[in-house]
Amino acid sequence: MTSIGLPHFLIVGAALFALGMITVVTRRNAVGILMGVELILNAANVNFIAFNHYVEGPGKVTGQVFSIFVIVLAAAEAAVGLAIVLAIYQTFRTIDVQETDTLRQ
Amino acid sequence: MASSNLRAYLVRLAVLLAGLFLLAGAGLLHRFAQLPTALTLLAQYLGMVGILWGLNAFFFRRVPLTGVVLFVFSGAAFGVLFFLGFVLQEIVGPWLIDSAGRFIGLVRLTDLIFYAFALMTVLGAAGCAFSGNIIYSAWSLLFAFMGVAGLYVFLGADFPAVAQVLIYVGGILVLILFAIMLTKQIGEDPKLTNAHLALPVGGALGAVTVGTLSYMAVMAPWKVVAAPSYQPVSAALGVAFLTDYLLPFEVVSVVLLAALVGAVVIARKEIKETSDQPI
Repeated sequence: MTSIGLPHFLIVGAALFALGMITVVTRRNAVGILMGVELILNAANVNFIAFNHYVEGPGKVTGQVFSIFVIVLAAAEAAVGLAIVLAIYQTFRTIDVQETDTLRQ
Repeated sequence: MASSNLRAYLVRLAVLLAGLFLLAGAGLLHRFAQLPTALTLLAQYLGMVGILWGLNAFFFRRVPLTGVVLFVFSGAAFGVLFFLGFVLQEIVGPWLIDSAGRFIGLVRLTDLIFYAFALMTVLGAAGCAFSGNIIYSAWSLLFAFMGVAGLYVFLGADFPAVAQVLIYVGGILVLILFAIMLTKQIGEDPKLTNAHLALPVGGALGAVTVGTLSYMAVMAPWKVVAAPSYQPVSAALGVAFLTDYLLPFEVVSVVLLAALVGAVVIARKEIKETSDQPI
């Protein structure tokens, strides 16, 4: 058995991305969809930091800088997204994304 | 009546304990004092009879074990136990010890910890994706985030690991829980609060995605460095933010301010337009 290497982390990232995508695609609850987006962003972060560690080499931190930016933007996205969900709930009294289709008509 | 009942119980208990002692003692004597095998088996059979008779006070009370039935039944039980013990001792035990030795020779502790964190991450994400109750989804997300933080530590990224715990677990997850509670769906049927649309389609899509990405991750010829470092990176990160990435750093602070103001503006209660007219 070989030691832990880059592919192990990439596979974990792939699994996180796929599960996040399943969450986004199948959920009807808007908050659940936002959770899926967070999972996808985490998958991207795992890949950034794994490549930073194994490919970019010692002393360089570009991948980690990008992961910090992703974390910051995920926080901003969560704040704005959940505020939008609350506004939708105040307007429609539901957060089922199947039923909030006013713009479609 | 009650006292005689109690006395009968006590007698049964005493016989049960005596049987246990006889069973264990005969085994130990056989092991360490070379008690003859036939004598050992006889003593253990008698111990078994005592145990069964004692147990009969508490279990299987519909079938009163007396006389011949007791001896035949305890003989059968003794045979089964003997067979099980023989199999465990002679076949399963050596196999377990052997395979455990081989397993430990192959796997190092760091690998085991990595697999524990990876399993925690993936199981947390799966719980988030497939749980029917949205509160359970949120708590599974906690495990996924903590597992990812552990993976960051494995990759020598100390600052992102701490930021992950502080921002995701301490900030975003709390925000999500607040949003769940503020949108009232909890009190209703929990099966419906987090219903799925087309889980088979989504599952197939996810399986194809993870298969393709894993194939690529394993087969691609990555230019891996020879010796990855595990030195702390916080100082280097700070220098990078204030030199090479100064403009993105400032832009991101403006983005955060805009998101803060925007979230407050969007989420506040609607002010009725009629309320500011004089009455």
